[in-house]
Amino acid sequence: MAGPAVRMRDVGSALGAILLAFLFLGLASCGQSSRVARPAQPIPAPAEAYAGSEACQQCHKEEFRKFGATKMGRRFLHQPQDQREALACENCHGPAAAHIDSGGKKNTGGLISFMKGDRTPTEQRTAICLGCHEKNARFFWEGSSHEARDVTCTNCHHVHENLSPRHQLAKRDEIQTCGQCHAEKRAQQWRISRHPLLEGKMSCSSCHNPHGTVTPQLLKENSVNETCYTCHAEKRGPFLWEHAPVTESCTNCHQPHGSNHEAMLKVTKPRLCQQCHIETRHPTRPYGNDLASKKFVLGRACNSCHVNIHGSNHPSGFAFTR
Amino acid sequence: MASAATLMLALAYPARAETQLYGFNVEGEFDLGGRIYIERPPPEERSIFEQYRDLPEAPFGAFRFRLFRPDESYSLDLGGYNIGQKDQAYFLSTGRLGLWNFDFEWDQIPHTLSTDARSLYTEPSVGVFSLPSPRPPLSAYNLAPFQDVRTEWDVARFSVTVTPTLDLDLKADYTLTRKNGNRPLSMAFGSPGNNFAEFIQPIDQTIHDFRLRASYAGEGWRLQGSYALSIFRNGLDSLTAANPCFGLQAPAPPAGCGADATGAPASGRLSVAPNNIAHTISLAGAVILPLRTQLSANVSYSLRMQDDNFLPHTNNAALASSPSLVLPRSSLDGIVQTVLFNLNAVSRPLAPLTLTAKYRLYDLIDDSKELVFPGHVINDRSLVNEPRVNGQWGYLKQNAELDGRWRFGEPVALTAGGGWERWDRDEHREVPTSNEYFGKAALDVTPVDWFLGRLTYIPSFRRISEYNTEAHLQHSVVEEDPSSLAGQGQSVLLRKFDEGDRDRQRVDLMLQFTPIETLTISPIGGYRYDDYINSPLGLQKVETWTAGLDIGWSPSEWLSFSIGYEYEFVESRQQSRSREQTGTTIFDFADFTWTSKNVDRIQTVYAGIRATLIPKVLDWTVDLAYSSANGQVNTSNPTKPTSGTLAQQTSATAKPFPSADDSLIRLGTAIRYAFAKRWTATLAYAFEKFEGTDFRTDGLNPFVPGVTSIWLGSDARDYTAQYVTLGLSYRFD
Repeated sequence: MAGPAVRMRDVGSALGAILLAFLFLGLASCGQSSRVARPAQPIPAPAEAYAGSEACQQCHKEEFRKFGATKMGRRFLHQPQDQREALACENCHGPAAAHIDSGGKKNTGGLISFMKGDRTPTEQRTAICLGCHEKNARFFWEGSSHEARDVTCTNCHHVHENLSPRHQLAKRDEIQTCGQCHAEKRAQQWRISRHPLLEGKMSCSSCHNPHGTVTPQLLKENSVNETCYTCHAEKRGPFLWEHAPVTESCTNCHQPHGSNHEAMLKVTKPRLCQQCHIETRHPTRPYGNDLASKKFVLGRACNSCHVNIHGSNHPSGFAFTR
Repeated sequence: MASAATLMLALAYPARAETQLYGFNVEGEFDLGGRIYIERPPPEERSIFEQYRDLPEAPFGAFRFRLFRPDESYSLDLGGYNIGQKDQAYFLSTGRLGLWNFDFEWDQIPHTLSTDARSLYTEPSVGVFSLPSPRPPLSAYNLAPFQDVRTEWDVARFSVTVTPTLDLDLKADYTLTRKNGNRPLSMAFGSPGNNFAEFIQPIDQTIHDFRLRASYAGEGWRLQGSYALSIFRNGLDSLTAANPCFGLQAPAPPAGCGADATGAPASGRLSVAPNNIAHTISLAGAVILPLRTQLSANVSYSLRMQDDNFLPHTNNAALASSPSLVLPRSSLDGIVQTVLFNLNAVSRPLAPLTLTAKYRLYDLIDDSKELVFPGHVINDRSLVNEPRVNGQWGYLKQNAELDGRWRFGEPVALTAGGGWERWDRDEHREVPTSNEYFGKAALDVTPVDWFLGRLTYIPSFRRISEYNTEAHLQHSVVEEDPSSLAGQGQSVLLRKFDEGDRDRQRVDLMLQFTPIETLTISPIGGYRYDDYINSPLGLQKVETWTAGLDIGWSPSEWLSFSIGYEYEFVESRQQSRSREQTGTTIFDFADFTWTSKNVDRIQTVYAGIRATLIPKVLDWTVDLAYSSANGQVNTSNPTKPTSGTLAQQTSATAKPFPSADDSLIRLGTAIRYAFAKRWTATLAYAFEKFEGTDFRTDGLNPFVPGVTSIWLGSDARDYTAQYVTLGLSYRFD
């Protein structure tokens, strides 16, 4: 087919190829650059600046015990994979000798405490974590919506202690952790029509990757629909008869964080459907609770007849009734 | 009873292991408990109570144990919870710390859709629903016994992660999802707008999801590649259901079908979701450039395919042999390709300045066959010799964004920027091209240790190239004279909200006060206003605002309180018109216009107490959640309908639409008593109450006098539940 969409595709594809070539050219030529956006490690220091984790333990016994029970603690303290990990506490907090020499008071000796009152710049604190965790889920952290607002790792993670069953979160679960800032989403899980988050069968990270992704909403897949298709693959099609707004975004009709309408719809039926359908062949009447309206309003309303509303593969299913 | 979370958390503070087994240390915990109801909802009132869980009055268990080498090199975690219930879950994780890991999970997820459905249908073979012959009177459906409508998901996940070097991660995942059970469905048998029947369709679906990923981080650059394969298989080919009105000519309603029985097909047949498969391959790279710049890009290509055989147009033998119902192909050969390209650049040329540029392209290319069907069948009842062709619904979506962030010292950072979103849709949609431009301002303030403020303002403006109301019909109804399309299509005044012109304002505010280390107070607020300008009919505006307050206070290590409140208000206003048609004559009267103001008001409250009454001996917790929603549909006519006939005026006159309300309260409290070194007893009490009113489902019977359709009569019924849980835990280490 010809048309503006096709032309834009050509333009987009050409642009994409150019930019990709630029990326890999940059990768090849600049990969060894020493001027990086973030320091890969804490500030280098001479060996005598380090005190060793045993010294830390003397004063921070309880923290040390809790840290030892975490996955990271077990690794650092028992199975370090390199010299950096063998530094244990000082791998993240920096060399501690000056801190000890100064009497060990709070915020002394140039340690990075990651606590409230620590004036270490956010990006420097984040860089310490990314020094080891820059792959996989954190691949797109740079420029992500959280990074752009100075959210740092310790806003969501409690590195020293297993407060949560997984991922060492700052709160007891993902909902509470994300709910620190996204309170309206946390409230929506209590709606009558919702996903099974309260039961622990899903969590925020079932759909989102808070560390950055290729979508603005930090979805784990490439688009809203591709995220939904992960579990609802029956709606992927392609169908013989597609419902165009369904193809473009499930969120045209659904509120995935929870709704007081059936099937997590944004607006109750039939009004939701009537926002886009004002026809004569199917008169768009202001249905209510009178007898003549009942078959269009009761039960599943429009879907009583238009059952395959997400798409139909039936030869006579153009109206999604078969 | 311990959930997985609490159980695993309880084990997060192990004393150093002492128990030995074949050179491994062992630690773990076993829970055994039972639930006793003080007040249990009857089975037909459990659709909300057991929406995603199983709460039998029976014993249940949980366990977790961990084996590990004294040097932590190898370990194995094994556990399960809700054992013996329909929502049980198990996990296993083993590996060599830092080198490889294997994870397995199996999770059962029940989904109760209804517990009071009533149906006379029987299913003599899978997917075929029968009714007695001759058909029973419609009123007989109200006497059918209650049935559960419930789906159960079994999800098994396998994952292997290998880290051959610190720079390289390799991961393989496989997830198998089995969906069994049933769900409500319906089928229309009458001429459009007439009789239909709901029945309980079986679910037999399988999803295989297989993924591979390699991620490498070099000095100053990173590379990541992945492949995903998703396969959907449906155990059903079609659904056939008997028509309750077949042969039920007399008596006329309320007991019979009257005119709907005339020419009624004995049964109808529905298509189901076809088998499909999708491949996705992605490559991402990131590189550090001069001027403290990082460039990252991602290219992803996906191929979706579906080629299931079509069903015949109808199972109605009287129509099936019509020459116009010969299928042009036996299957669609459906192919959709998607291409995603992302390019992000973040630069910090000056210490206080961060510049960000983003470009994103998402292209959905629908390469499915376009097929011309010479005729079709309406509801397995009537043949229509009107050629139709399926559409291709591709689109190209592009986004670009540019912003700068300046940090005024540590306490203040200001971001300002703008962006653009463009849609190019294939010619079958109403709007070929739209451009949306937005601005962005964000302020982050931390002037003192005890205060954090975040304010965001994003205005955006979407403008379209043109709006072709008949684009869809011009394409799908072959050889139709465009001038006649208005008679069967959409109003030319309609602007669909997902495509039309729109002005949007969005403001978000979050504050966080920490006046003392142990107290956090977080007020939040948000406002969004969508104005669908140039839209005579359709959605006019949507206004949403939220306000909330969270307080957390931990006066001591042994005591903490939390309380939160959230209010959400959503109002959408739409305008429509009742447009009647008799033959080829359209009655499009301006005074038949109606508006609907749909308002949702939702309040949510939650509170919690965590108290250690006797350190390491006696803990007490309280959790409360309350949610209340009110939904209103206020429909009215701006002017009283006076045109046309009296019957048309009646149809065009707005009817009352009673409001819908629901509220749910859940209160739980538990005392946990460590009465011996390794033994802990738990006593918990839970109170739950749900109340809802909705005229569309309250007391709905399968048969409603005066209507020739049959529902299942499902209703989310009110319930009250009180139960006590007793648990005993043994912990070893």
